[in-house]
Amino acid sequence: MTGLYVHVPFCLTRCGYCDFNAYAGLDHLRGRYVDALLAEAALWSEAWDGDSFASVFLGGGTPTQLDTPDLVRLLAGLRESFRIEPDAEVTTEANPDTVDAAKLGALRAAGFERISFGAQSFDRTVLASLERVHDPDSVRAAFAAARTAGYHDVNLDLIYGAEGETLASWEGTLAATVALGPEHVSAYALTVESSTPLGRQVAAGERPAPDGDRQAEMFDRACAVLGAAGYEHYEVSNWAKPGHECRHNLNYWRRGDYLGLGAGAHAHRGERRWWNVRPPEQYLETVARGERPIGGFEDLTGEDARLEEVLLRLRTTEGLEASAVDADRAQPFLDEGLLERRQDRYVVTERGMFLANELVLALT
Amino acid sequence: MTQLDLIRNFCIVAHIDHGKSTLADRLLEVTHTVGDREMRAQYLDKMDLERERGITIKAQAVRLAYERDTTKYVLNLIDTPGHVDFTYEVSRSLQACEGAVLLVDCAQGIEAQTLANYHLARDAGLTIVPAINKVDLPAAQPDEIAKELADLVGADPEDVLRVSAKSGLGVKALLEAIVDRVPPPEGDANAPLQALVFDSMFDTYRGVIAYVRIFNGELKTRDKVRFMAGKFDVDSEESGVIAPEPTPLPRLGPGEVGYVVTGVKDVHQAKVGDTITHAGRGAAPDPLPGYREPKPMVWSGLFPNEGGDYVALREALDKLRLSDSALVYEPESSTALGFGFRCGFLGLLHMDIVKERLEREFSLELIATAPNVEFHLIDQNGVESVVHNPSEMPNPGTYERCDEPMVMGTIITPAEYLGPIFELCQDRRGEMVDMSYLTPTRAEVHYLLPLAEIVFDFFDQLKSRTRGYASLDYEPYGWEASDLVRVDILLHGEPVDAFSSVVHRSKAYQYGRAMTERLRELIPRQMFEVAIQAAIGAKIIARETVRAQRKDVLAKCYGGDITRKRKLLEQQKKGKERMRRVGKVDVPQEAFIAALTVDSGSPGKGKK
Repeated sequence: MTGLYVHVPFCLTRCGYCDFNAYAGLDHLRGRYVDALLAEAALWSEAWDGDSFASVFLGGGTPTQLDTPDLVRLLAGLRESFRIEPDAEVTTEANPDTVDAAKLGALRAAGFERISFGAQSFDRTVLASLERVHDPDSVRAAFAAARTAGYHDVNLDLIYGAEGETLASWEGTLAATVALGPEHVSAYALTVESSTPLGRQVAAGERPAPDGDRQAEMFDRACAVLGAAGYEHYEVSNWAKPGHECRHNLNYWRRGDYLGLGAGAHAHRGERRWWNVRPPEQYLETVARGERPIGGFEDLTGEDARLEEVLLRLRTTEGLEASAVDADRAQPFLDEGLLERRQDRYVVTERGMFLANELVLALT
Repeated sequence: MTQLDLIRNFCIVAHIDHGKSTLADRLLEVTHTVGDREMRAQYLDKMDLERERGITIKAQAVRLAYERDTTKYVLNLIDTPGHVDFTYEVSRSLQACEGAVLLVDCAQGIEAQTLANYHLARDAGLTIVPAINKVDLPAAQPDEIAKELADLVGADPEDVLRVSAKSGLGVKALLEAIVDRVPPPEGDANAPLQALVFDSMFDTYRGVIAYVRIFNGELKTRDKVRFMAGKFDVDSEESGVIAPEPTPLPRLGPGEVGYVVTGVKDVHQAKVGDTITHAGRGAAPDPLPGYREPKPMVWSGLFPNEGGDYVALREALDKLRLSDSALVYEPESSTALGFGFRCGFLGLLHMDIVKERLEREFSLELIATAPNVEFHLIDQNGVESVVHNPSEMPNPGTYERCDEPMVMGTIITPAEYLGPIFELCQDRRGEMVDMSYLTPTRAEVHYLLPLAEIVFDFFDQLKSRTRGYASLDYEPYGWEASDLVRVDILLHGEPVDAFSSVVHRSKAYQYGRAMTERLRELIPRQMFEVAIQAAIGAKIIARETVRAQRKDVLAKCYGGDITRKRKLLEQQKKGKERMRRVGKVDVPQEAFIAALTVDSGSPGKGKK
């Protein structure tokens, strides 16, 4: 399948752990940015003429930082440049503080049918530790508003293992999540990226690095609680009620084709991966000159392609074709119960998921 | 040829750092043997390593011209290696002399090597010229030290020369004393040739060059000569003296010191201590006394860091061997470290030097196993076998008795540190032989110690417990039966041969604990729990556990992450590939190095 990713780099504030291409204080560029997205779409329109897009995903940053009319005309404009299938999965990420019933309703009417909230935690201490400005209650309010607006596909993003988070606190967050009953839950072990303020604090010894063992315990709790609540654990960090898996993301892990629009967005087609320039101003200028804002690319063949195939395929419960790897190398992991053989495929077990890197390294 | 009564052959013996090389430099300068322009610090220490470490590894001899009242004397300065590892070489150099300048730093006083070298020199029948150095230092105590030294050698304090090798103060007076006090050599020019090889070196172009002292007879260039212990004949291609560059002379006569270019391609054929005579009918009936085969005392496995360099290591050892007759080695294969060599060294310093030369001169990266000594096993029938690799030590019960090498250690220390020294020696299975006071505040202690204990960071311990004030010297002192056991280290049930060690039974537990704890810190977590065990035979004496790895995952991997995360994994993969696999366990190279590096702390280390 083919997917379409649209990056919106604006945020209310920057969170210390986040290494996405996102900026606070650039709101004045928002209108021009949407114009540029549509212009970039037009630059690619012909090249992707033969594709029909089965998903559209607005990610960020915070897409809902854009004004409602901008979001509406953006989706409409994309439909003009590309063939988007009638039953395509159309998602936008949203910060609970940047939406209300009116906005959610308008977006639903415009064709957005899936919404992904950055909830992160239902514990105020943990939210503060992550430098998130929203309140657990605003997640509940936004969630309720989404339901009222008619969204039947809602995701909550969660982060675990932040400084100050106890196992009990994490269990509380999981219980609160299950109580709301979203169709989809993404739960990520907090990862310290060196380029972020958090990364610098950890490197300087000012804050502790997350403890891998404790995160593993939290992962186990998530598996147990979400599993018991009827969610299927279909990818390392993703759970969904049956039939509600995120198709857009599955396409990444299946190494499908996708086009990326916006500052720093990535794209993939065939053997090639490429990405746009990251700074929003540079992106605007390049598109304004009528050029595709490509920042770099790589063509993957041989060992690189194989490593990527194993690395991506082993993330989901769809697994990897058994013939792609050496059976002798897989055997120890089968013995340890980290890998399973399902017909002609190798699939990571839930226990194996948290050790996926080890599997990838051993199998390639 | 020089008249016998105009020759003086002497050496300088001193504790490390007491200024021997600086004094030698000054002698070269004062006698105009080396012009100011060619002068470089420590002229005689030829190897880079020697100059860096401030030690003399190979002895050298240089001829100084000294004129007094129109009489032209020839003074041969034979520079001795100043380290316990090379005691035999020292004894050969001393044999070539009639006198020795016993040099003591008068800010430090008499040290262990001062004594050891003094005794060697005295036993060799040398006339001792006592001298104190660094008299111009603020911390100098010339009067006290002169008295201490005079007491030692049985001289009048007035007879102790006072020198500053650095400034040149007193150096002329020292030369006078050498001429006046050191007796000229004796010898018969008409007797068959007897020349003592007191050192040899390998020159890539000219082959082995032997440094010799002629005792009897004459040696001419192009003479056909015989190495009596080496049992081979060779045409001397050139002979002459070092002044300080090689200077060919038509003939060398009794009492003279010089060199012979042999053209031999292997230094093992021209060993230190051998006697050169004429080949055929002119041969001397007997060699000079005292020849001994070099005997390795300390063993260690040397392995290439990256598996592929085995051949390069072999070639490097083969080359090094040409200039180092004491180095022995044989191929060794370790399940943990792959193919390498078990090497025998004269001592810890010799080991450090060889390893450093291999790394520096041949650009090799090496892992050295912890040094060990040789063990002699005697079976029920009295048959002896030799083990110099701990992993080859059989289980107890398969032999009747196990002997280990002993040394007599001499420690000189300020009296206030005697307590800590007793404690250390006690802990190292030492047995005190005697103790005396050099002065009311300085003591000399003799301990009989197993060499194995010295090899295991003894010197560092001694230094740290005495704030660096105590000095140590030791000499081989036979073999003694001992209750030794092999302690194996097992990873996940699999013995790691490189970590096996032979220790005294009373220390097995301590060693096992230390090693397993150390490895627990060094071995990364694996997919499964890893047991690290220390065992004597089948009996486990210590255990540590590396808990199973629980998290190794990329939490997020979406469209924008894929390229970067793939590169992360490639990095991780490279790291994994650098590990060695022991059974099922991946062990990083650094863990091997860190676990095996028990700093030997050889006495030659640490000098600038």
